[in-house]
Amino acid sequence: MTVIECSHLEKRYSGGAGVKDADFTIQENTITGIVGRNGSGKTTLMKTIAGYLKVTGGEISVFGENPFNSLKVSANSMYLDEYTMFSNALTTKDILHHHSRFYPNWDAQLAQRLADYFSIPMRVGTDYLSKGQKNTFYGILGLAARCPLTIFDEPTTGMDASVRKDFYRALLKDYLAHPRTILISSHHLDEIDELIEDLLLIDGGRTVLHLPIEGVKEYAMAVSGPAGEVKNWSAQQDVIAHLEDQGSISTVIVKNHFTAAEKAAAGGLRFTPVSASDLCVYLTRRNIGGIDDVFSNSQHG
Amino acid sequence: MLNHDSSKPIYIQIAEWLETEILHERFKPHEKMFSQYQLADQFNINPATAAKGLTILADAGILYKKRGLGMFVTEEAAEQIRHRRINETLSALISDVVAEAEHLNVKEQDLIHMIQLEQSRRKGESS
Repeated sequence: MTVIECSHLEKRYSGGAGVKDADFTIQENTITGIVGRNGSGKTTLMKTIAGYLKVTGGEISVFGENPFNSLKVSANSMYLDEYTMFSNALTTKDILHHHSRFYPNWDAQLAQRLADYFSIPMRVGTDYLSKGQKNTFYGILGLAARCPLTIFDEPTTGMDASVRKDFYRALLKDYLAHPRTILISSHHLDEIDELIEDLLLIDGGRTVLHLPIEGVKEYAMAVSGPAGEVKNWSAQQDVIAHLEDQGSISTVIVKNHFTAAEKAAAGGLRFTPVSASDLCVYLTRRNIGGIDDVFSNSQHG
Repeated sequence: MLNHDSSKPIYIQIAEWLETEILHERFKPHEKMFSQYQLADQFNINPATAAKGLTILADAGILYKKRGLGMFVTEEAAEQIRHRRINETLSALISDVVAEAEHLNVKEQDLIHMIQLEQSRRKGESS
């Protein structure tokens, strides 16, 4: 069953577009990783799906309805990010209690056990938690609520490495026992690339790639060798990016749909796989050179 | 057991690990195989990825599906795996070995001697 359907979705702010032309569908009971550079529109997209924002163009349907002002979407979804706010008059314990009243699938025992495991203080307001503790607490809310659609926007901000690992492990275990639709955005694709089923890459408010993660890992190859040979061979190929030359060796990233004969014709060129996170970097690069150019201009200009 | 930095896709590593388990008779013919959820929990991966590993083995005739019950090991699974590994994995390794020996000017009888030495070393280890 399709849970989310977007077609030419657009959300414009007075300052410019957050989402320009998003086109995708998300099936029930999948975990989708949403990645993109800073300012690419991830948060706008996720908030639009959760019904927090009113679209300015295109179509969106979540559980068959426009999510904005939809009670159905509101009751069946949960959006969490580091800016989630609770009144400081409530202790973390109170917040857990109130969630049990709002969310029919709430697992109070799981919430308490996770809070104990992660040593979250129970008698204070969320302002007294550290940044990492606060986000861990929100992660616990997201897991224990077992909402049919759960959206985690950068859930691991501020968490230390071992908490991040434990949080993703808890997410997987709870998902295996209670499948549901989960969207999760992260700047560290390497940390979630075995957890997610599908990857949605957005850039400049547009969907660039939406594929099963295994397909993303096989999407492209890096081909390197002497500059002239690489240039000749890649002339007929779908080139995604040219990497900076290392001496006389140049490297291009090409789409992985060349034939065995074409590969054989490459002779001594070296083929190496491109990881999902590297591919995302190559697909969303700006054509303004690298960070080194910023310095070379200021020195010589 | 999984190499997360390997260029080999995780679902293929899962399929190969299961093949080795069958070869070592930790799964006998007509025994129930791990489910995609057990594999996902054990290896900390998405169940869809685990399912892809199982599908490869089902397509190769190493597992069969019983509706509603899961995947089971076929009668000829171990023999089939052995056969394919000899024809694919082992012969590819041998072609690498022979090519490297050629590069290094190692004579045929010396190469065979090296193989025999390694074999007796391993026998010594296991006895």
